[in-house]
Amino acid sequence: MSQVERETLLIVDDDAINRAILANIFESEYRILEAEDGLSGLQAVRENADSLSAVLLDIVMPRLNGLEALRELRGEGLTARIPVFLITADLTGAWMKEAYDLGVMDVIFKPVVPYIVRRRVNSVVELFRARRRLGAEVERQRDQLLLQAQQLAEMSTGMVEALSTAIEFRSDESGEHVRRIHDVTCHLLRATPLGEGLSESEIVLIGVGAITHDVGKISIPDAVLNKRGRLTPEEYELMKTHTVKGAELLSKIPQMRELPAYRYAYDIALHHHERWDGRGYPDGLVGDETPVWTQVVALADVYDALVSRRCYKEAYPAKEAMNMILEGQCGAFNPRLLECFQKAEPVLRRFYQ
Amino acid sequence: MDPLDMERLTAAGIDVADALARFMNNESLLLRFLTRFPEDRNYAELVRALGDGDAERAFTAAHTLKGVAGNLALRGLYQTVSELVERLRASDMEGARLLLGELESRYEQVTRALAGMR
Repeated sequence: MSQVERETLLIVDDDAINRAILANIFESEYRILEAEDGLSGLQAVRENADSLSAVLLDIVMPRLNGLEALRELRGEGLTARIPVFLITADLTGAWMKEAYDLGVMDVIFKPVVPYIVRRRVNSVVELFRARRRLGAEVERQRDQLLLQAQQLAEMSTGMVEALSTAIEFRSDESGEHVRRIHDVTCHLLRATPLGEGLSESEIVLIGVGAITHDVGKISIPDAVLNKRGRLTPEEYELMKTHTVKGAELLSKIPQMRELPAYRYAYDIALHHHERWDGRGYPDGLVGDETPVWTQVVALADVYDALVSRRCYKEAYPAKEAMNMILEGQCGAFNPRLLECFQKAEPVLRRFYQ
Repeated sequence: MDPLDMERLTAAGIDVADALARFMNNESLLLRFLTRFPEDRNYAELVRALGDGDAERAFTAAHTLKGVAGNLALRGLYQTVSELVERLRASDMEGARLLLGELESRYEQVTRALAGMR
């Protein structure tokens, strides 16, 4: 919307005395433009549409009369933006209904009475000004609300990430793990055919879900979580519960359930240890029974674990990590997923430099 | 305005106070248009058109003259011209012609008063 204040008044009248009288009434408040017939009046409106406060239009004029000019203005949508007043000496108003139908704001009779004309014109001009201000204000507030909604969404994600990182800190000194899983997951969905059918906003939500994939580990005792060496069968069974516990935890936080990311986060927390061959946990899902985006997070998790140093192992070089995954040493994955992963791996490797 | 001029104009059927109000007491602006009134060609055009029996030209001239007379508060002249406009609007050319004498005397009255101004 234009912020130019409309402070110009256009007087269209073939009679010089009338123009002088009207100009004399308004010249202290407006910049005055004058036109001597309908055609040049019409042109003046078109040229000054953005700065006109009002148009005073005589009816009986050479070239193009006031009503004809008014019809043109109406056709171009200008009467909705600029108030038009008809000035007439004709008291028998056969044309008056048409004039009002065409969007005229008021009809002023000649000879004019200055204080009346001034009051009527200024009231309407003020009305149009207020309307414009209100429109601009609504627009400003809408922008502000959108910005606040965006900030709120960013803050929600930020809180989720902070909590997940805090949980992750117990087993990973850097706290970088969740951030990297997020980056690897999003890259695989954005840059490879794995993301087909997903919109950018869905990928962002899946990224949030990737961040919370391991929140269930908060329920695992330190002794098991950070044990150096092999877990006993009992300890391993306990460790496996972090999937179910994670999904349960997410479902018990009302604010989390209201986030659009929840449906992704829940499934990812629950199923990021399922396997393509059905030998994973907790549900033993087979193949694409696990959504492809959860499969992507699972792969990202394994890859990140291999190339990072952990309390129980050193970091593998990226090439070796990729080969271990492709050879099936670290779980069973969707062949299509592995194919895309292999192609994208040189880029993923850079996230770790 | 000179009181004598004021008196003369009032006697010629000119409502000076009303005219001044219309010009928002801008006296010099009013005087500029008043003194120029005798140069206005609509009166002559109206008389000629009535003589020629040209109703359309007569109506246009009468309509414009009515506007000028109204703005300058030439009360007597305004009354006659308004009546003339209505007769022409009703296509009553004969009736319009009947007002020619009255029109002339009121016009002369105004122009005489204006010519005598200081």
